[in-house]
Amino acid sequence: MNEIVIKSPTTLKELVQILAVADNNTYMLSGGTDFIIKMRREKINNGTIINLKDLKELNYITNTEDYVKIGGITTLTEISCSSIVDKYATALKEATGKVGSTQIRNAATLAGNIANSAPCADTVTALMALSAKVKIINGSGEIYEKKVDDIVLGSEKNSLKRDEVIIEVNIPIDLEARSSFGKIGSRTAVTISKLNMAVTFKYNHEMVINEAMVVIGAIGPKAFNSSTVANSLLNKKINTQFIYLFEETLQKQVDEAILGRASHPYKREAIRGLADDIMKRMFPQIMTGGELS
Amino acid sequence: MEMEFNVNGIKHILEVDPMERLLDVLRNKLKLTGAKEGCGEGECGACTIILDGVAINSCIVLAAQAAGREILTIESLEKDGELDRLQKAFINNGAVQCGYCTPGMLMSCKALLMKNPAPTEEEIKTAIEGNLCRCTGYTKIIKAVKEAVKDI
Ligand SMILES: Cc1cc2nc3c(=O)[nH]c(=O)nc-3n(C[C@H](O)[C@H](O)[C@H](O)COP(=O)(O)OP(=O)(O)OC[C@H]3O[C@@H](n4cnc5c(N)ncnc54)[C@H](O)[C@@H]3O)c2cc1C
Ligand code: FES
Ligand code: FES
Repeated sequence: MNEIVIKSPTTLKELVQILAVADNNTYMLSGGTDFIIKMRREKINNGTIINLKDLKELNYITNTEDYVKIGGITTLTEISCSSIVDKYATALKEATGKVGSTQIRNAATLAGNIANSAPCADTVTALMALSAKVKIINGSGEIYEKKVDDIVLGSEKNSLKRDEVIIEVNIPIDLEARSSFGKIGSRTAVTISKLNMAVTFKYNHEMVINEAMVVIGAIGPKAFNSSTVANSLLNKKINTQFIYLFEETLQKQVDEAILGRASHPYKREAIRGLADDIMKRMFPQIMTGGELS
Repeated sequence: MEMEFNVNGIKHILEVDPMERLLDVLRNKLKLTGAKEGCGEGECGACTIILDGVAINSCIVLAAQAAGREILTIESLEKDGELDRLQKAFINNGAVQCGYCTPGMLMSCKALLMKNPAPTEEEIKTAIEGNLCRCTGYTKIIKAVKEAVKDI
C-alpha cells in the first residue's frame, strides 16, 4: 500500500495552508521533468506531493520599468518565445531555448531548473549572469526574495526549506547591458563534454567595457561567477584582441577550477569555442574582421 | 483517487493511483496503446502525446497532473476511418520503418502543425528533436512533414 498523497492547490492561499503542515516527506512538483524520474529511481512512495501546476495565477511573463517578472509555473517554451525576455534578458531566452527538447521545454519550469540545482542547469547560469532573484512563499504565508545564487547550493542541492516554494523569478532590467548564453553538450552527455556560460556586458559608445559579469556552468558543483575573468575585461575595447584576451583568461580560470580532472583538457579548449560563439552572436561585426563603431 | 480525464474529446472518470504516470493510464486503463514506452525518462519521445495543445512526454507526467486537461493521443488522428494527412504522408514517404517511434513522432509533428501550419525545415527539426528514430535517419520524416504541409 503506497501512501503518496497529491495535493493540487489552485490559489496561493490554498498553497500556504498545505505548506503550513509540510514535513520532510513533502515534495514540490512542477513540470516533473526532473522530479518524476527521481521519484521512480529513488522509489519515493511515501509522503505528500504538492502539484504546483494548477496555480494558474503563477503563469505569466510581465515587466515593470525595473524588472522582468516570470511566474513560477511558466514553461521554458513560453519563456523562450517571449518578446519581453528576448528584449530585457537575452541570455535567459537563449538558455531556455537550448534546454532538452521541445517536449521537455513544454513541461519544464524555471523554478524547477533552479530548485533542482544540477551543476549543468542551463537557466541557472543565465539567471546568475542577469543577477536574478526569486520570490518565495512559505508555510506562514510570508513572501520574500533571495538571489538565485543563494538558492542553488549545487550538486543537486538547494537551500530551500521544506515549506518554501519559488513563486516568481525577477530579473532586473538594465537598458545599457547586453547578455548572451552558450552551451556545449547535452545534460545526459558524459560530464566531460558539458559546459555552459553566460555573460552580461555594459560598454560605452566607444565599445569600452565598463561592467562585466561572466558565469561558467558545469566546471564545479554549481555555476560560478568568475570575477577574475570579468575584471580582466574592464576598460578594454571590444575588438578582435578582446576576444583573444577573453578566451585566454577563461582558459586560465578553467585551469584553476579543474586542473588534474579528466575533463580538464577538453574543457580548456571547449571554453574558447563557447566564448567565440557568444561573441559572434553579440558582436557579429568583429568576427567578420570589421571594427565596431 | 477518482479523476476526470478528457482524452481525444471523450471524458472518462477513472480511479488512479497517485504515482501512476499519464502513459500508464493511457496504455493500461484506457487501452490506448499507441503511445509507447521507450526510455521512460524523457529522452526518446516514444510516449509523446499532446496536452493542452503542446507535445509532452507522457512518461514523465503524473496522471494526476493531466486530469481535467485536454489530452490528444495518436488514436485521435484517424477520423471516420480516414488517416490524417500527416499519417498518409509518413506512409507515402517511407517514414515508417519498424514503427516504434512513429506514434510519438506523429504527435510531435501534429502539435507543430496545430500551432504553425507552414513550418520551415528548421522548425520541423526543432519539433522532433526529442524524438529518437533508429531506422529512418530522419530525412524521410522531414520530407513527409513537408509533403503534409504542402497538401493544406
Ligand atoms: C530528457 C531531458 C533533457 C533535459 N535537458 C536539460 C538541459 O539541456 N538543460 C537543463 O538545464 N536541464 C535539462 N533537463 C532537466 C530539467 O528539464 C530541468 O531541470 C527543468 O527545468 C526542471 O523543471 P520542472 O518544472 O520539470 O521541475 P520538476 O521536475 O517538477 O522539479 C525539479 C525539482 O525542483 C523542485 N521544485 C519544482 N518547482 C518548485 C518550486 N516552484 N519551488 C520550489 N521547488 C520546486 C522539485 O521538488 C524538484 O526537486 C532535462 C531533463 C530531461 C528529462
Ligand atoms: S518513453 Fe517517454 S521519452 Fe522515452
Ligand atoms: S521507424 Fe524504427 S525507430 Fe523510427
